[in-house]
Amino acid sequence: MTASTAPPASAHGTAPPGLRVIRRDGSETTFDAGKISVAMTKAFLAVEGGSASASSRLHHLVGELTDQVVAALARHPVPGVHVEQIQDQVELALMRGEHHKVARSYVLYREQHAQARDTGPETATTDLPTVHVTQPDGSRVPLDRDRVETVLAEALAGIEDVSREPVLAELDRTVYDGITADELAQALVMAARTLVEREPDYSLVASRLLLDRLRAEAVSHLSGTRETPDQATMAQRYATYTKDYLSRAIDIGLVDPELATFDLDRVTAAIRPERDTEIGFLGLQTLYDRYFLHERGTRFELPQAFFLRVAMGLAIREVDREARAIEFYELLSSFDFMASTPTLFNSGTTRAQLSSCFLTTVDDDLDSIFGGYRNNALLAKYSGGLGNDWTPVRGLGAHIRGTNGVSQGVVPFLKIAGDTAVAVNQGGKRKGAACAYLETWHVDIEEFLDLRKNTGDDRRRTHDMNTANWVPDEFLRRVQADGSWTLFSPDEVPDLHDLYGTAFPLRYREYEQAAERGEIRVHRTVRAVDLWRRMLTMLFETGHPWITFKDPCNLRSPQQHAGVVHSSNLCTEITLNTQAGADGEVAVCNLGSVNLAAHIGPDGLDTDKLQRTVTTAVRMLDNVVDINFYTIPEARRSNLRHRPVGLGMMGFSDALFLQRIAPGSDAAVEFADRSAEALSFHAIAASSDLAAERGRYASFDGSLWSRGILPIDSLELLAAAREEGEFDVDRSTTLDWDTLRETVRTQGMRNSNVLAIAPTATISNICGVAQSIEPIHLNLYVKSNMSGDFTVVNPHLVRDLKQRGLWDEVMVADLKYFDGSLAEIDRVPADLKELYATAFEIEPRWLIAAASRRQKWLDQAQSLNLYLAGPSGRKLDELYRLAWRSGCKTTYYLRTRAATSVEKSTLKGTDGRLTGVPTGSGGNPAGSGPAASGTPAGSGIAGMELDLDPAAACSIDDPDCEACQ
Amino acid sequence: MTVPTTDATGLGEIERGAAPVHADDKRMINARTDVNQLLPMKYHWAWEKYLAGCANHWMPTEVAMQADIALWRTPGGLTDDERLMLTRNLGFFATAESLVANNIVLAVYRHLTNPECRQYLLRQSFEEAVHTHTFQYVCESLGLDEGTLFNAYREIPSITDKDTWALRYTQALSDPEFRTGTPENDRAFLRDLIAFYVVFEGMWFYTGFAQILALGRRNKMVGIAEQYQYILRDESIHLNFGIDCINQIKIENPHLWTPEFAREIRGMLHEACELEVAYARDTMPRGMLGLTAESCEQYLRFITDRRAEQIGIAPLFGQADNPFPWMSEAMDLRKEKNFFETRVTEYRTGGSLEWD
Repeated sequence: MTASTAPPASAHGTAPPGLRVIRRDGSETTFDAGKISVAMTKAFLAVEGGSASASSRLHHLVGELTDQVVAALARHPVPGVHVEQIQDQVELALMRGEHHKVARSYVLYREQHAQARDTGPETATTDLPTVHVTQPDGSRVPLDRDRVETVLAEALAGIEDVSREPVLAELDRTVYDGITADELAQALVMAARTLVEREPDYSLVASRLLLDRLRAEAVSHLSGTRETPDQATMAQRYATYTKDYLSRAIDIGLVDPELATFDLDRVTAAIRPERDTEIGFLGLQTLYDRYFLHERGTRFELPQAFFLRVAMGLAIREVDREARAIEFYELLSSFDFMASTPTLFNSGTTRAQLSSCFLTTVDDDLDSIFGGYRNNALLAKYSGGLGNDWTPVRGLGAHIRGTNGVSQGVVPFLKIAGDTAVAVNQGGKRKGAACAYLETWHVDIEEFLDLRKNTGDDRRRTHDMNTANWVPDEFLRRVQADGSWTLFSPDEVPDLHDLYGTAFPLRYREYEQAAERGEIRVHRTVRAVDLWRRMLTMLFETGHPWITFKDPCNLRSPQQHAGVVHSSNLCTEITLNTQAGADGEVAVCNLGSVNLAAHIGPDGLDTDKLQRTVTTAVRMLDNVVDINFYTIPEARRSNLRHRPVGLGMMGFSDALFLQRIAPGSDAAVEFADRSAEALSFHAIAASSDLAAERGRYASFDGSLWSRGILPIDSLELLAAAREEGEFDVDRSTTLDWDTLRETVRTQGMRNSNVLAIAPTATISNICGVAQSIEPIHLNLYVKSNMSGDFTVVNPHLVRDLKQRGLWDEVMVADLKYFDGSLAEIDRVPADLKELYATAFEIEPRWLIAAASRRQKWLDQAQSLNLYLAGPSGRKLDELYRLAWRSGCKTTYYLRTRAATSVEKSTLKGTDGRLTGVPTGSGGNPAGSGPAASGTPAGSGIAGMELDLDPAAACSIDDPDCEACQ
Repeated sequence: MTVPTTDATGLGEIERGAAPVHADDKRMINARTDVNQLLPMKYHWAWEKYLAGCANHWMPTEVAMQADIALWRTPGGLTDDERLMLTRNLGFFATAESLVANNIVLAVYRHLTNPECRQYLLRQSFEEAVHTHTFQYVCESLGLDEGTLFNAYREIPSITDKDTWALRYTQALSDPEFRTGTPENDRAFLRDLIAFYVVFEGMWFYTGFAQILALGRRNKMVGIAEQYQYILRDESIHLNFGIDCINQIKIENPHLWTPEFAREIRGMLHEACELEVAYARDTMPRGMLGLTAESCEQYLRFITDRRAEQIGIAPLFGQADNPFPWMSEAMDLRKEKNFFETRVTEYRTGGSLEWD
């Protein structure tokens, strides 16, 4: 026992004088500690057998535990305590004393008594409410409890540590008299979901219950009669069902008729029905809500039919279509690899817009600006995300020749771009999303920083659009030197946006001098540090604009012979050239992610499996380029010329846990390096082999690839452009890059870019692994998305705690109390605390070190989120400068924590975290609830900014208070 | 020792040349020191709550209402019972926030004689305005009938009953002749704090929160649910500020909290609980998926016990468990949002950053 869970040792079993116990019937009696001893002794005897009764150890132990309970009750602020509260304290004392079996026996004893009370003679009638189910025709029938039990039994089968009683109890609280049949099916799922925080495997139960609902919905829809097949029946029928489904989907114009020309017997024979039951609840609910094809809201696409449809769509132009479709299906349905959301939405359908990302540049005239809105709308319509470069648009106060007027700057136009994104909400499947980029020297930069603020003129705010800074190296150099920084309007410095590396600072200084000579009309000089702090403050306050670095994106771009990278994209992992104008370029990227967790074997990374996965995955991504339905011609032209794709990864954290590597360690950084190296190596090799099979991409000649400069080599280009102390990147390699370099030079590449690590926000949910390269958010938390809120418990942690006998009700309460962090829970061993450190607990430098090692290998970039627990400007400044020095091309969200949270509603008793004054006159800190009793308010929890120290709220008049002595 | 001089409201004549205030002399009520001097500070908890309130700043217009509007207009998107619940729920809150604001500005502020607490009251009254703004925004967004919503407190009996009950306590203090300083009047002030902070904001708002969160749990009316989560975050601090005030007044004035008074407060909580149960029935005559008037009653008993305990009153019902375990998901656990899909609520104002 340690300080934070043990009550003060000085209690000596003296109950507070006059403590009254409130009985269940409301009557009162005096407190008798002897009763507690008796109940505990009974519990010990039940576990250890009758012979233990004579043991002095037991006598001593029970005495000690009783003292603890009494001490806890002594801290109780009021003279009356409810009998249930006493029993809670007993339970806690047993649990905290590590007497888990005894505690369980005591809990059982309580439950039996509670049941006995409920079913006592005075309440002879069953307390189950009479519930009728309203049928579709309006008639009411009594709830068929047998059917409920059957469905539930199926869902529970084969899963350990789950049982029917709690689900049924919760169901009774969820249903109401007159519930509809459909709501009843939902109610079962809801009931199982509620239990997930206690036992993560209830998520699988919920998932199977949902699957049951989906099976009935899909099969009945196709057959036209109500059917409720179970999993085993469905396994028999899956192939037939899939053919029926395809023919219906083609009939109603959802699926491409060409899919019917496949050898359907051959492809449907490859279906693995059992994989339906391996999808977690969050994954299945997400698929159900937004991915599965439906006819006016009724889903008729089952999971394996869905994966097969996507795979067939991607294989449609292959020579042996069936073999490739099966190969792709295997990869997707096993969750070894997952295609991006737009591909999953649209592959094999009649509108096969499969690309994830689009990047555009907006030019400095109204035609281009309004053409840009149109492009955004058309690109977003079928689920693409947008990155728009707005830097060329002239700033506030610039001259407009046509009207001899003065420009209002770029901000009013951004407002319209934001509104366009809201209007095009991708058919409700996903919110239309755009990110506006502005380079740091643009004269409107300060207003741009404020775009996401929730105060000020709403006409100059974009609540629903993302924003990002496009930061040249020279700016950070000026910040470092505490120098000045000059802002310009792009119409007067037209080439600045296209310059990078050593050319930029030379030209920028020329413009500064011109401004000093009065040759430039619109310009303003600020202190670089002030602007930098303002950028970081807004990032902290609103999460926007993100910070991305122009120079590394360009200096390491394989396509620098063919244009300039003017911005990144919606998720800061794409770095492709764009050009304004009708014959310009809209960059397109097709994404997919390898599930790293599925490639960890007993000896760490299974490189053979990874090679197989990556080779097939690159082929799938390359196919997208040709199959894709392009909504605007600039995108089509650019994509067919360069054929960029972005292969990334997800489940990085799971991969660490499986190898028992703590995220904040050298080993984790090393694994980040080696896994990205392997991904990069095999992806480049696969693209080069595709070039041999299908031909090189059109703009290959002159690219870094053609000059034998691979991503690992392009680091040198960045290093050369940086000054002393501005570049700190490890350059170790372990694979045979010399041979690959030669292969690429001679064989060519199929794709201008191959690697980009996307956030995988949704597809990682489908696969049931941690997002992308993210550390775990918390060990117990709620994930919110368009499908609603989902409780997520770290399953690796629960498995470990179970193994060590530490997973119980108290642990759940403690996890909740400490907001999903293990740091303050004394019962959790140190090795687990280190292994399962959450995003806010890991020193940010580790995340950047790992990111730096990954970025070595990427021809594009990675969506790198950073975390900051406390509000420190100094740390924020260090963090982003470190990212820059470490060679990161981009950063994504800065995640911080809310100032305060709400009162915990489901803990026993209040958590006392938000109060500052002791209750009652005893002068004891609040926090009288059992689960919170050992954890006084304001105990300095890591990351809790609102640290309400009870000592600071002491009663100065109270001479008994010892807080300040 | 300072001489008893200043008027407790802060509006008395300025005492020229008087010595600075000592923190030790500050009092929650009936202070004999100047009430206009924030520093030196005595009640750091009040200041912390002021800072927390500022850092939590939000505006209802940040929350997109599109999904709600689409669902609200879709025939069959919500059941009739759900629609009834929602309109009555909004109907209660639409004016409730105004009543709370009135109580702060017209009753509490005048008699709470401590500048750091008053600082928080000013912040809180602004937050009440933001909450009222929220209901205006919801009403306009969904195209609800203004009268139905904002006049509900005069039309729906259970809402009228609640508001009438609470208003009595404001009225008791609003008499221009009312002064604290006698045990009787000091208790009237405590009663008002309990009626508004413990009952109104601490109990009555919670049934309302549960109802909306129950819809949000099923991914319905998610914009309103998100707004309620913001409101809940604010109300959590309001409530705990009130509780701190009550407990601090008790510490400074132990003579006020007699057994009779404690019994009376217990009775108040009982009454309040019954009024709320009636309201739950009015809003949910038949129940809906995941929520019935009966389960709301259990929930309210749970909340009442919790509040009782926070101000040192023995639990009334012994309802130890929250009958809505799913609230854990909606309220207790930290959230991670998919940035593509929902707005992140956890950002805070940057004024608190330190650079050196």
